[in-house]
Amino acid sequence: MTYSDDRATMIEFKDVHKYYGDYHALRGINGTIKAGEFFSLLGPSGCGKTTLLRTIAGFEDISSGVIMIDGKDMAGVAANARPTNMVFQSYAIFPHMSVAENVGFGLRKDPRSKEEKARAVAEALEMVGLKGYGNRAAHALSGGQRQRVALARALILKPKVLLLDEPLSALDKKMREHMQVELIKLQRQVGITFILVTHDQEEALVMSDRIAVMFEGEIAQLADPETLYRRPATKKVADFIGTMNFVPATILSETGNAVEVDAKGLGRVMLDIDQAPAKAGESPVVGLRPETLTLLYDDQKAPERETDGVIDEVIYFGDMTYYDVYLGGTDVEVRLSMRNVPGRPVLDVGEKVRVAWSPSALVLFR
Amino acid sequence: MAATPRSEARAGLKLISPTAIYVIVLLALPLATVLVYSMMTGGRGNVSLPLTIANYAELWSKPVYGYILLKSLLVALSVTFITVVLAYPVAYFVSFHVKPDRKSLWLFLITIPFWTSYIIRVSLWFVILGYDGILDKALMSLGIMNTQLNFSSYGIPAIIFVLAHAYAPFAVLPIFVSLEKVDRSLLEAGQDLGESRWVTFLRVTLPLSMPGVIAAALIVFIPTVGDYVTPKLVGDGREPMIANFIETALLKLRNYPQGSAFAVVSMLMVGIVSVVFVLLNRRFIGGSK
Repeated sequence: MTYSDDRATMIEFKDVHKYYGDYHALRGINGTIKAGEFFSLLGPSGCGKTTLLRTIAGFEDISSGVIMIDGKDMAGVAANARPTNMVFQSYAIFPHMSVAENVGFGLRKDPRSKEEKARAVAEALEMVGLKGYGNRAAHALSGGQRQRVALARALILKPKVLLLDEPLSALDKKMREHMQVELIKLQRQVGITFILVTHDQEEALVMSDRIAVMFEGEIAQLADPETLYRRPATKKVADFIGTMNFVPATILSETGNAVEVDAKGLGRVMLDIDQAPAKAGESPVVGLRPETLTLLYDDQKAPERETDGVIDEVIYFGDMTYYDVYLGGTDVEVRLSMRNVPGRPVLDVGEKVRVAWSPSALVLFR
Repeated sequence: MAATPRSEARAGLKLISPTAIYVIVLLALPLATVLVYSMMTGGRGNVSLPLTIANYAELWSKPVYGYILLKSLLVALSVTFITVVLAYPVAYFVSFHVKPDRKSLWLFLITIPFWTSYIIRVSLWFVILGYDGILDKALMSLGIMNTQLNFSSYGIPAIIFVLAHAYAPFAVLPIFVSLEKVDRSLLEAGQDLGESRWVTFLRVTLPLSMPGVIAAALIVFIPTVGDYVTPKLVGDGREPMIANFIETALLKLRNYPQGSAFAVVSMLMVGIVSVVFVLLNRRFIGGSK
């Protein structure tokens, strides 16, 4: 994590609303994005993440509220006057220009000499790994190369904020994973604030310093990846990020800093108050991640708690096996993941097992 | 049984034969006839051998023909220029500012003038532009003019005006199609990279729509060079174009060789200009295949 609280604020949202006719696309966005941060807007399609990005770029007006970039109110500032540049989902490479002309597009008003500009273009291309591609026709490039051109074209203008609208979604899996790492490296190298829009929670977790999870025009949680994964604020966030088992529970008692619950199949357990965010409304459930559950073999002992179970389903992944297990003679089924290490056989459906778990890995949603 | 190359070739010929016959009978043969006629001698409906280039030599030697050719070319180029320049904003408006579900209605409305015969449309211009017509009355009642302007008698300007109006829809459609193909995110990219809407138009939209502009120019230019109805009706027929000469030679004098020679020369002229347009088009597409 390169993020720290003492950085300067780059972008600030104050109660930002956006209406399309009757449709309420952004419903009161608040929050700050720090300078030099790799920030992600994560959410399912239609959650408003792209709209929010476009309001930063200046392609969409906001209906009410304030967006500040680097301390300046962006109201009435056109897209071409904002200190932001965007990498479009389609990359938006100009098809009638060469790679170098694309990268140098924004330098028209730059007072530098032609030679200096050409050098800047060559440097930008080198930075994104396209050294010597300047004379190629833009339409002859592959998807990954187009994206690099789009990056170079934006970064050459040294924006304060680089906006990336689902830049990896058009690439195949291998290329995507490769570009994720490259983007992280590039961001560290240039030190510019990156704001990434993605619907891919894994991508957001891998790349971001902080993530804003959005549902239906609202930020459901804004946190660093680890907090988001380990301590999701709502059941919806928990469900969206990774896999989460939900076990019905009843709240027995609550004191100032602890909550005692009876989770079906797991039994009574004391939870610390930070495991139980106070957001009333739903019937209480306890969430636990598959990797926090472990199958116990032979005479292994559980470090903390253990529960009996019966295997209902086995899903073999090569390096991992997922087991769906009924807990403690109930109809509560949880998924757990086990690494396939030598000497540890893959178990069969119907086998009786013991499941180890840790109370500190639980999260209560209520 | 495996198909031998020869049987494959035969099957191929069979498959293309309808098109081939159509092209040979309806395009190649008439064209060849015109070419051969242009190199024969004769008159009053007769043609005779031997082949000679005397007809071309005559065209070359008399300046009046060169003048007519040049005039036709300039009129057609002016019509093309005016039509394309006027059609572009219309196409741009329909493509960029009309709601998607209304676009086909707009295009439909643009093509409505085609539902009337061309002769009728030209005649209707007399009602507007002719002596004491709507234009004259308007100008006089506004006090801008105190006698009739009678614009329709203004030879070449009137011909250009009427032709430009007649071919406008032809020009709107290809430009519209090429504008529709411009990825809208490119325009946002242009602005994102610091350019105003106008400069983005000049640097992105206009070059990307050039194929449509060139197509529109060709579609307007080729038929206007050969148009003979308009010069006859408008401008009191005082400004004949190349097509009127061809018509006179072929239909009135029945001098087929001379008329054919005219036709070949005008075809060559159209061909040369078209090649220039096509080359321009290539340049704008930027070497894409």
